Amino acid sequence: MAKIRKILVANRGEIAVRVIRTCRDLGLSTVAIYSEADRSALHVRAADQAYCVGPAPSRDSYLAQERILDAARASGADAIHPGYGFLSENASFARACERAGIIFIGPPASAMEAMGEKTRARTNMQRAGIPVVPGNTEALRSLEEARAQAEKVGYPVMLKAAGGGGGKGMRKVDRPPDLESGWRSARSEALSSFGNDAVYLEKFLESPHHIEIQIFADSHGNCIHLNERECSAQRRHQKVIEETPSPIADSSLREAMGAVAVKAAKEVGYIGAGTIEFLVDARRKFYFLEMNTRLQVEHPVTEWVTGLDLVAWQIQVAQGEKLPQHRKFSPRGHAIEARIYAEDPSQNFLPSPGRIESLRLPSGPNVRHDSAVYQGYTVPREYDPMIGKVSAWGLTRDQAIARLLRALEECVVTGIQTNIRYLSAVLRHPALVAGDYDTSLLDREHARLLEGEPQNVDPAKLAAVIFAHDRDIKVAASRADPDARGELSPWRLVSRSMALRKLRRS
Amino acid sequence: MRYYVTLGGKDPVLVEVKTLAPGRYRITADGKSEEVDALMFADRGMSMLVGGHSYSVDLDESGDEVLVHLGGNVHAVDVVSERRFRLRGGTAKFSLEGQQLVRAPMPGKVTKVLVQLGEQVIEGQGLVVVEAMKMENELKSPKNGKVAELLAVEGSAVEKNAPLVAVE
Repeated sequence: MAKIRKILVANRGEIAVRVIRTCRDLGLSTVAIYSEADRSALHVRAADQAYCVGPAPSRDSYLAQERILDAARASGADAIHPGYGFLSENASFARACERAGIIFIGPPASAMEAMGEKTRARTNMQRAGIPVVPGNTEALRSLEEARAQAEKVGYPVMLKAAGGGGGKGMRKVDRPPDLESGWRSARSEALSSFGNDAVYLEKFLESPHHIEIQIFADSHGNCIHLNERECSAQRRHQKVIEETPSPIADSSLREAMGAVAVKAAKEVGYIGAGTIEFLVDARRKFYFLEMNTRLQVEHPVTEWVTGLDLVAWQIQVAQGEKLPQHRKFSPRGHAIEARIYAEDPSQNFLPSPGRIESLRLPSGPNVRHDSAVYQGYTVPREYDPMIGKVSAWGLTRDQAIARLLRALEECVVTGIQTNIRYLSAVLRHPALVAGDYDTSLLDREHARLLEGEPQNVDPAKLAAVIFAHDRDIKVAASRADPDARGELSPWRLVSRSMALRKLRRS
Repeated sequence: MRYYVTLGGKDPVLVEVKTLAPGRYRITADGKSEEVDALMFADRGMSMLVGGHSYSVDLDESGDEVLVHLGGNVHAVDVVSERRFRLRGGTAKFSLEGQQLVRAPMPGKVTKVLVQLGEQVIEGQGLVVVEAMKMENELKSPKNGKVAELLAVEGSAVEKNAPLVAVE
């Protein structure tokens, strides 16, 4: 197979920047696509070439398959990396790439169809003897059907987008009267996020762990797993903090889950990077939840402990190379990541788009940040509120957490609201520190996490007063000085009339 | 200059600021004085030294509030001059009597209008759905009553605080 030389990144935000970075590491040319709302986005600046593919709404730009393929052809790209979200799990796009003679950096369309659609994946996994969460395996046709299915498995239930992932198009419904509004919002969010409003239903497991296995397969029949990631720190089904190894996984659980994950991937003829998500209950029984047939947001923690570049591997596998033969990877130490969102924890996590006035990003030993923002950048209102991720590595779990906390303290974003202090509160919570938490932690401890730790607020008061004082002094000074206000002082008037007189005389 | 400073719902404290030299201040509150060395940078960053302690601060404004970013936290400190504090007095009363205006909590797009003009609504009933950053937010009625004004239009973009529905 021909070597890839130029990659079009069919995405935006931090993941587009992250993929472009690896391309540069490998000496490959890069092509960005952007919507009209993203002209000023960092990924456009980071790439060698950039094509506008349409107006702000995703369906007219980042989901517009033909326009993206046109950009690929026009730029001479020989491959497309879809990132996560958008078209990354869209089999028809993978097929369209194939028809256009462009390599899609992801699994074959057939594997995406078998796994990408959550309902079909459940059917396939059940057939392969892999345990799945109770619920239906087909998209629900009507609210009535949803009601009947919910009665059958028993409340609480989860409504989920069949074409989705990443917590979008998902609603927990506790009681029958809430089913209708959950149905309505899950479907409309599914449609706007994935272009597909199909929704199915699962029994909601009480306080499970969310643990996922990173797998990698090449086109020569090799498939391996790169251990687990613990993603139980979730708020409203959105992952907030991810770590590896999982504090509850011992080697026997890890091996059992890894073997099932590899089996699941092989079952559908998978190639490339993929993640099998499991729910693990209190008795450490695990159920297949779904497979994400793409790179995950939280892949950096796996990269930290393995020393691998998963995007580089994706590219190598896409151009037909074999997975490196040293099969046994021995992950080292502990890594943990926090997702930074443009949202206001004090206002029920309301999105907070807008201009970033000042930005300080963390650095120092064993800290990594992946972001797509810069000072003066306006975070658009049209897209996902995640603006970046910060991750840290340590030899021990305690060390990794301490580093991440330090990194978050260094991280300053002004002009918009972010969840940074909320993330610090989560990392300081005794249950997280002890490694004894499941998916119920953030909702259960909501109030406490919002409150944060009591602290000395005197320095904040001093700084605020000095700031206000300097500001008011400047305003007062500009009022007293007419020149500064752009008004005409008597002196200016005199000098102007003298100048006019001179003109007339000459 | 003298300011009333409020933080975290506590009672306002009167604070006096005096410039001793450029970048040096004496701050007096509750009869106690402190000398502060504060170096402001062009990007609204500040290095503040107080009694041998060093603080790296970033500042931002939102109305009368100064947002102080310090050690991973954001403190919203309400700072108003003595004069403005008196003018503001008595306006803080909050009530659900009469007409209540439901406003857009953030800039976004109205994706759904769930009520009609003149419709009777109950407290907590969904009125309008506003979407921003792919998150849908259903705005609920603050009280039982009637939809007196319907300003939200499906599909239209709205700025933060734009009036959407009046319930009376």
